[in-house]
Amino acid sequence: MTSMEVTKTKEEILEHLRDYVAYTLTSAKGLYREPYSYGPMRLMDSLEKALSLLQEAGIKDENLDQVLSSIRKERWRAMTDKEGFAQAIDTSILELVNLSIDSKKKEECI
Amino acid sequence: MEVIDVIKSRRSTRSFEQRPLPNEVIQDIESAILSSPSGSNAQESHFVVVQDQSQIHLIKRFAPGLSGNPAAIVVLCSNGTAALEQGGIDTSEVLRFVNLGIAASYIILAAHSNGVGNCPVRSFHGPSIKRILELPNNVDPELLISLGYSDTPPRPKTSKEKQEVISHDKYGSN
Repeated sequence: MTSMEVTKTKEEILEHLRDYVAYTLTSAKGLYREPYSYGPMRLMDSLEKALSLLQEAGIKDENLDQVLSSIRKERWRAMTDKEGFAQAIDTSILELVNLSIDSKKKEECI
Repeated sequence: MEVIDVIKSRRSTRSFEQRPLPNEVIQDIESAILSSPSGSNAQESHFVVVQDQSQIHLIKRFAPGLSGNPAAIVVLCSNGTAALEQGGIDTSEVLRFVNLGIAASYIILAAHSNGVGNCPVRSFHGPSIKRILELPNNVDPELLISLGYSDTPPRPKTSKEKQEVISHDKYGSN
């Protein structure tokens, strides 16, 4: 994880934070009546918005870009190829497992 | 473009260029709305054309299904009271939504015939949109249509096989 220069003003970040909170809340309400496949799609979008917010606030983990690359590449499949999209999520989860194990090993070496 | 070519070539657009729509396009959208038929000619629906960017931002905030940054949004609203008064029970219970569906088709085809991308959206929080647009009690938002110039090429359309969707003379007969 790296600290980056903050390029947005506090007010701009707060506005995006409100966008993010509204997106998550309205998605949660909408999902009671929407197709179940919207759930994974909205969660992924919510995750991207959270990462984008953190980046605006100066926090970014380059390794997560690698972890999420599979989902980002297959994002368009979310509605048309649910199995394909689920597989992309699996790939990202396993990437995250590998990243977590590597981090643990590094900590143990220190 | 011929009408049938407009119908066959339209795709949903979810990513837009940052440029406003000319007045002529908005006028065509308005004409499409006013030309769309309604059961019993009740004309009970209402349409809010939003171009103010701060209003669009607010609507987007409470509409998870609305992707990209559209130049305009048409909010298609039903009016239960007017539907009952002008069209009776059937219009109140069913036809008012059918009428909005027909109007939506007119709007997206009018937009596409002008080279304007569009996408109908139902994933939004109704009470929030109602408050943002200051809709009266008996008027409810039922569908949003985002409008703007597409910044990405359209994806190929995936359709079911013709015989799955269309029968001739009797159900299941092709």
